[in-house]
Amino acid sequence: MMSEKIRVKDIGKNPDRNLTTIRPEELIPLPPPYDDFEEQPDWKELSKGARENLVCNLDGFVAVSLPKPQNAEEEKKYVDQFVDGMKKLLSRENNWTFLQPLMLSLEYCIGCQTCSDSCHVFEGSGDNEIYRPTYRSEVFRRLVNKYAKPGGKFTAALNGADVDLNWTTITRLAELAYRCNLCRRCAQVCPIGVDNGLITHEIRKVFSQELGWAPKDLHEKGTVLQLEVGSSTGMNSLVAKDNVEFIDEDMTDITGIEVETCWDKENADVLLLHNAGEIMAWPENPGAFAIILEKAGIDWTLSSEQVGYDGVNYGLFYDDFQLARIALKHAGTAKNLKVNKIVMGECGHEHKALMTIADRVLTGEMSVNRESCLPFLEEIVFSGKIEFDPSKNDFPVTLHDPCNIVRNLGIVEPQRRILKYLCPQFREMTPHGVDNYCCGGGSGFAVMSVNNFTDWRVNIASRTKFKQILDAFADQPGPEVQKYLCAPCSNCKGEIRDMLHYYNALEKSSITYGGLVELIVNAMVDVKEPFIEWEMH
Amino acid sequence: MSASTVMVVLYLLLAIMVVAFAVRTIRIAKYPVHLRWELSPVPHEKGRGAYGGSYLEEFEWWTKPREKSLINEGIYMFKEIVFLKALWEHNRRMWYFSFPFHFGLYILFVMAVLLVLGSIASLLNLPTPGIGLVANGVPFLAGIGYVLGGIGALGLFAGRLFSQRLKPVTTPSSFINLGLLLAFFITGVLAVFSTDNFAYQATVFAQAFVTVYFAGEVTGPLAIHLIVAGIFLAYLPFTQMMHFVAKYFTYHEVRWDDEPLEAGSKMEAEIQELLQQTVTWAAPHIGADGKKNWVDIATSPPAEETE
Repeated sequence: MMSEKIRVKDIGKNPDRNLTTIRPEELIPLPPPYDDFEEQPDWKELSKGARENLVCNLDGFVAVSLPKPQNAEEEKKYVDQFVDGMKKLLSRENNWTFLQPLMLSLEYCIGCQTCSDSCHVFEGSGDNEIYRPTYRSEVFRRLVNKYAKPGGKFTAALNGADVDLNWTTITRLAELAYRCNLCRRCAQVCPIGVDNGLITHEIRKVFSQELGWAPKDLHEKGTVLQLEVGSSTGMNSLVAKDNVEFIDEDMTDITGIEVETCWDKENADVLLLHNAGEIMAWPENPGAFAIILEKAGIDWTLSSEQVGYDGVNYGLFYDDFQLARIALKHAGTAKNLKVNKIVMGECGHEHKALMTIADRVLTGEMSVNRESCLPFLEEIVFSGKIEFDPSKNDFPVTLHDPCNIVRNLGIVEPQRRILKYLCPQFREMTPHGVDNYCCGGGSGFAVMSVNNFTDWRVNIASRTKFKQILDAFADQPGPEVQKYLCAPCSNCKGEIRDMLHYYNALEKSSITYGGLVELIVNAMVDVKEPFIEWEMH
Repeated sequence: MSASTVMVVLYLLLAIMVVAFAVRTIRIAKYPVHLRWELSPVPHEKGRGAYGGSYLEEFEWWTKPREKSLINEGIYMFKEIVFLKALWEHNRRMWYFSFPFHFGLYILFVMAVLLVLGSIASLLNLPTPGIGLVANGVPFLAGIGYVLGGIGALGLFAGRLFSQRLKPVTTPSSFINLGLLLAFFITGVLAVFSTDNFAYQATVFAQAFVTVYFAGEVTGPLAIHLIVAGIFLAYLPFTQMMHFVAKYFTYHEVRWDDEPLEAGSKMEAEIQELLQQTVTWAAPHIGADGKKNWVDIATSPPAEETE
């Protein structure tokens, strides 16, 4: 338990020092052999340049990389813009997309703190007050009540008017908006239905849509790059096609099954939409998809249309307009190819962005059929079209539930039915399903590695998940037994890669990770050699 | 104290309550349709709600009939409203006070309904069982309701004062809300136990109130309690204590709103209209110029950053 007492109003005070300090010994303990924090790698120090030039007075970590202001006028300009942004957030014209859920969450929290115990960041940090789900919400609520609502200054005394509106407050709040994974576990337990994840999402929108502040990895190197080049990886369609061709060749060599990905096939049944990060970082995943679809005789295609080969949509995490721009490109790609449906690859936020969040902006002819790969794969696995030998997967397997697929979309059982059929030693984590814990990479964190943010992610945001993974394999904890963590989500895999690497879990516990399709291919009778490689990707 | 004075004050306070309650409820209901933001479990998912599954688990879900169970939704809501299930499961220490507090209020609500029905029955010269029910039931329910509610409110008030966990989100209005509730329960207890034949007094007042008949007297403690109750009710719609209304919307219109957009639907027409609104967000990449609407912006690439 943290001894530090931080009040809501402290966010705007003492700009020359951190609002809080994270100490490794205060984080929740991990089981052996990870229990000695002194054996873990040291946390990266911020460079002198970063300390001098960037806002870094929240907790000593930097995700947003805001430059320090040049003068008081600049500070005032941004503070005024922030107030304008809050007002726009409360308006029907500028924020119809989330107005009702936002107002309900801002106006009806009774402060029971039920959400706190459900939050893996708060728990992982050893109950640091600033990571409590209500902390940032309460800061924002008090600012909204006083500065963005009619008559707010008159009723402010009753509602807690003690948060200073200044540069320190808004910049710490911008940074604090990137200390929540938007996993919505807190919303799930709230007796009223208040959603602190949504409030965080809306705070991010004010900063992005009004002030133009967002982490570079999500904006410039994320949605902007994707809309400009075609993919947030920076691959244009020619490079993507080349890479997939290599993957096809590799898959054919490894498995002996002839694989040739089809591009831009009109009237295909399935347009498969991968997170293009898979092509770069985990080529065995799109490769495994190709093998399964070929063997099952599916009429499928990839698209080389700009944005149409990358299912990533980081707009989901911080900006409604970037979200809509990308979602429209995805739907447009399917329309142009006249396919029956888009099947989402193993990418959680792609699922959520395109299947539900963008559902109500895909009006008229932009409405296309969209399906998760999980029921799609279940249909194939149990169709009898492919012969399986589950004994080939006879090693401990556990499943990570990506929040965006499970808690947010309610796709819980198809992946379990596959794993129970194909993996004799499958075991659940506790808790699991819709009660799962986030991997710590949610809401874009998995791709945010600037400054010292990776250390914050793997030590705090991922801590509860890492503990859960170790607990799931507690019966065979040592390195002598190879264990597989199935994570059917690209961003989750990115976070898990960083987490396992940081703790050296492959060497100490023989835990590796991968997607669901790799396990399916590994169990195929026609694939003679083991498909899963027991190494860190 | 003169019943007519109490009645005038109460009519005024209740009028404020009704108007404010209606305005606030209508305001929530009138917010535009929003993007989907559902959250599992969604209990109306037939056969799947129990584990949090949804229709999106189906292969080609759009070709299958949607099966909903309103009974499951009703059972979920019943457990949540009556027993505060979420608090029991996730915040037990608060449940120990919140449950008696809420249950006390429910009992008092039943008592108030009984009083009004009893008054009407009496005015219509209906058979005596109804009157008997009021005579026996009202003091019993009032005693339990005020005491339970009072214990709960006292615990919640103490929590706000002393709990390090609750302090950060406690504002002056938290104390005013709970203070008024405590005053309501305490004056209620005093009224019940200091008024001779409470049921009779309460029934007589209820009859006068229902028929707008300005006559008679009410005892001091009962009059004070009625005015405190009126003040509380008039104040209620201006606070987050309206969460019992908000909760309908947070559950049914946000967490459980998993309705897919259908071509040609009323929802689609509403969204088409919303998309025509002019956008004024100022960040350069949005590219808003005071004329462009949502469609213009979403169908154009991000504007060049100039700073």
